[in-house]
Amino acid sequence: MKLKTFTSGIFENNPVMKQVLGLCPALAVTTSAINGIAMGLATTAVLIGSNTVVSLVNNLIPTKVRIPSYIVIIASFVTVVDLVMNAYVHDLHKVLGLFIPLIVVNCVVLGRAESFASKNGLLESLTDAFGTGFGFTLALFVLGAVREVLGNGSVMGFDLFGSGFKPSIVMILPPGAFIALGFLMVGYKYLDERKRVKRGGV
Amino acid sequence: MKDSPFKMVLVLTIITTISALILAFVYAGTKDQIAEAYRQDFLKGLKVVLPGFENAPDTEFKEMKGYKVYIGKKGGEVFGYAVRAVSPKGYSGDIAVLVGVDTKGDILGIQILKHAETPGLGNKIEFKEWRDTFVGLDKSDNIAVKKDNGIIDEFSGATISPRAVCEAVNTGLDILSRFTVGGEK
Repeated sequence: MKLKTFTSGIFENNPVMKQVLGLCPALAVTTSAINGIAMGLATTAVLIGSNTVVSLVNNLIPTKVRIPSYIVIIASFVTVVDLVMNAYVHDLHKVLGLFIPLIVVNCVVLGRAESFASKNGLLESLTDAFGTGFGFTLALFVLGAVREVLGNGSVMGFDLFGSGFKPSIVMILPPGAFIALGFLMVGYKYLDERKRVKRGGV
Repeated sequence: MKDSPFKMVLVLTIITTISALILAFVYAGTKDQIAEAYRQDFLKGLKVVLPGFENAPDTEFKEMKGYKVYIGKKGGEVFGYAVRAVSPKGYSGDIAVLVGVDTKGDILGIQILKHAETPGLGNKIEFKEWRDTFVGLDKSDNIAVKKDNGIIDEFSGATISPRAVCEAVNTGLDILSRFTVGGEK
């Protein structure tokens, strides 16, 4: 049961690949693997904070004002993450810059608060936050790695092919994000289908 | 349970108050660290354009027509000046360049402080190999891209970004020439 909550966010309900949520940061910052990881971890931190608080105070919040309450809670955590990143990992913050404040409007975070944390206890909600956050980070890492290899010929900053390799610049430009994500989703769907058919589904 | 309007207002007020308190606390805790991070960032740029300074150029500067001219000292002797010059002619937005010269007016180095050029094309202006082609040039050299009959290489597919950098460098040299030998003309 517990494990299911955790793995659901990574595989069956992967926020990017399956729910297709949070695409703005997923497409915009994944020009390299390290950016993808950083964005994923920042979002995970916010998710953990917001899921925890929402599951704790949910009974005290009148239903009609729950969305504004969640947004205020999420926005506070995002600002905290923004300030802390600016102070301690300044170079990374410079790259992600604009997209950190935008975590507020990342549907993944509000989605988990509304559809999971508001109906479950603290421990369940925490597990869900870790699972979803990890799934989001994983998706962004893979997307970032693919784009970095094709568009820059490197991964995590290490040169892979030497100077003879001509990277296709389009992959680290915005269109490349859509192209790469499209192919990744096809691959994900393919694995998913194969698993389903193997289990005896039609 | 019926939710009275009063309760809604009360709950929202409490939540926002707590949030505000937490944010104020975190802001106060990280303010100095953030300012220091920005300063280190700027010093990193100054290290490129004024190699080997031993003072703190970001606090030792002269105001000049609204520009800050940073002074680099080694062993108590002034050995160079640097200025931040901006060209609005970048492919997407302003390009800010830090230009450093020695006391004779020869360029010691340039550093791109801010730009939003296309990754893979215009952002090659950040590459050290290209920036180093400016080293040793002075105001009398024809600092412009080869397409404009200058001596600086442009990149295939990206002429606008290097051209903007050249413009910023020339602006910087203009300001700095008042400080270097043979200036004040």
